[in-house]
Amino acid sequence: MSTVVSASTPSPVAKVSAKPDIGAIVKFVAVLIIALVVISPLFLLFVASLKPDRFQILADMGSFRAFWVSEPSLQNFADIATFSGALPFGRYLLNSLIILFCTVLGGVFLNSMAAFVLAWGRLPGRAVVLTGLIGLYIVPQESIVLPLLSLVNKAGLGDSFAAQILPWMASPLYIFLIYQFFIQVPRDIYDAATVDGASPFRIYWSVFLPLSLPVLATVAILLGIETWNQYLWPLMVTQTDYARPISVGIASFFGHDSVYWNSAMAASVMMMVPVLIFYLAFQKWFVSSFISSAVKG
Amino acid sequence: MSSQASPMPGSASPGPVRIAARRPKPPIWGGRLQELGMLLPACILIALFLLLPFLSSFEIALTNQRLIPRPVPVRFVGLGNFQQILTDSAFWTALWNVTRFTIMVLPIQCGFALAIALLLNQKLPFRNFFRGLFFLPAITSMVVVCVIWSTLFQYPTGPFNQIVGFLTFGLVGPIDWLGDPTWAMPSIVLLSAWQAYGFQMIVYLAGLQNISESLYEAAELDGANAWQRFWHVTMPSLRQTHIFVLIITTIQAFKLFTQVNILTQGGPRGTTDTLVHYMFTAGFVDQRLGLASAVAILLFLIVLVVSLVQRFVVRDRR
Repeated sequence: MSTVVSASTPSPVAKVSAKPDIGAIVKFVAVLIIALVVISPLFLLFVASLKPDRFQILADMGSFRAFWVSEPSLQNFADIATFSGALPFGRYLLNSLIILFCTVLGGVFLNSMAAFVLAWGRLPGRAVVLTGLIGLYIVPQESIVLPLLSLVNKAGLGDSFAAQILPWMASPLYIFLIYQFFIQVPRDIYDAATVDGASPFRIYWSVFLPLSLPVLATVAILLGIETWNQYLWPLMVTQTDYARPISVGIASFFGHDSVYWNSAMAASVMMMVPVLIFYLAFQKWFVSSFISSAVKG
Repeated sequence: MSSQASPMPGSASPGPVRIAARRPKPPIWGGRLQELGMLLPACILIALFLLLPFLSSFEIALTNQRLIPRPVPVRFVGLGNFQQILTDSAFWTALWNVTRFTIMVLPIQCGFALAIALLLNQKLPFRNFFRGLFFLPAITSMVVVCVIWSTLFQYPTGPFNQIVGFLTFGLVGPIDWLGDPTWAMPSIVLLSAWQAYGFQMIVYLAGLQNISESLYEAAELDGANAWQRFWHVTMPSLRQTHIFVLIITTIQAFKLFTQVNILTQGGPRGTTDTLVHYMFTAGFVDQRLGLASAVAILLFLIVLVVSLVQRFVVRDRR
């Protein structure tokens, strides 16, 4: 499935042979300009985060000075990257990373284990479980969060890391994505493993997991982006800075008379940088992940 | 391509009985216990954190339960919550707003996504680099998008006001984009479309690359120009992709919350209040859990209907 996009078949449309160069250059420049305009808000963010004066940021915004910083400074980052005090964005970032790490690691493991049993196990009732999961997939997160909040509070899990990790680790969508990958594994591979008398977990762990890195990467990326960008749930479930993620921290800049734009910009960059690093490293995987979530969804 | 939505459960997986008869395994019960141990953790989490709250929302919706319980016992109110919602003009405003948002965001977001996908589907140097660049907003958190765009919308000297003033030679004065009842929703539409078009873009790209080249060659032999090729080859071939993109975007649009909660809190004068925001206000701010659960059920029903429409339309074509 990762080849759908990356296999860049030369386009059928570009067949003009007489005067190819001028047309190609014009097209290239046009795409470049469109890309620069579309991406400029992100560029503005990074430039603004290097300006320590919050009034200067707003004054510059309306002119081309928004694209330029004469004396870049990391002062904004130094001011907010703390672990206590008024705007402990060091803490928020760390909280987000902890939640991300636990959710993705646990999610990939639990979902793939369940998918393996559903695809290749001998347990009776697997079809019923699978049908139930497919049915639950349609329930949107938004329509369960309030009853869930009530349950979580009753269980004494309010304002905790567990309340932000456990509910979103296992997911019908990801079990189903991995299940679809597993059932395409040739039966010979499974048979060969059972001949050796290997236990189900052993077969899953040493035969199926190594085979399924593409789908595991897909699930890790989708679940990771989803977890990183969670807003509604942590907004309701966190009451103190203890487990508050960076998304809710940034939102708290709004709703006052004067926003500290310099801090808000720096905090936003802090939230983007981890995603950007992963994106630059695994760009092809990112795009194919979103494709496969679309095709299978 | 978008046809794998529901595989026949069971039939796709290997027949377990046949295997068991062919190769009796010594640790059969140990094996099954282990399988149970592998399946249960995910199932228990889903049962506790998805199924249970979902089912309990139906029960809570029939009561006057509060988020933080009061000393007064919870009372059964029947369909009273639904009655109250359906007679609340603020609910209908929220429903209308979210419909308005969907109607505006669908053509803008999907049209822009298709346009970029068409550009990127051509022979172009650094194509993968451009694709990666155009996909950047899609991986940017909505909270960060709100920070950036609220400075772009800044009143009175933000970039949007400068551009509008420049293009109209100062005839149109500065607009308080997010504070003006007329402009607040279109502004939310614009920043939402900018954040989310990347997903539709790559879906369209995948759809475009599935179109057979021979179709274009045949059209060219028939003397079709680029515009005719687009309308008579590209667009009909993308039919399945269009349906999928429209359904997904509609469902996303109906869940509109984050940007509204951060930038306008539903205002000005309720013009950006949405279903999820209405639910959030009722359940979390006002603590009326029963009422909010009733809204949640209505939201679920809307998403269900849209999804069923997709199933039927897609099945129709097969």
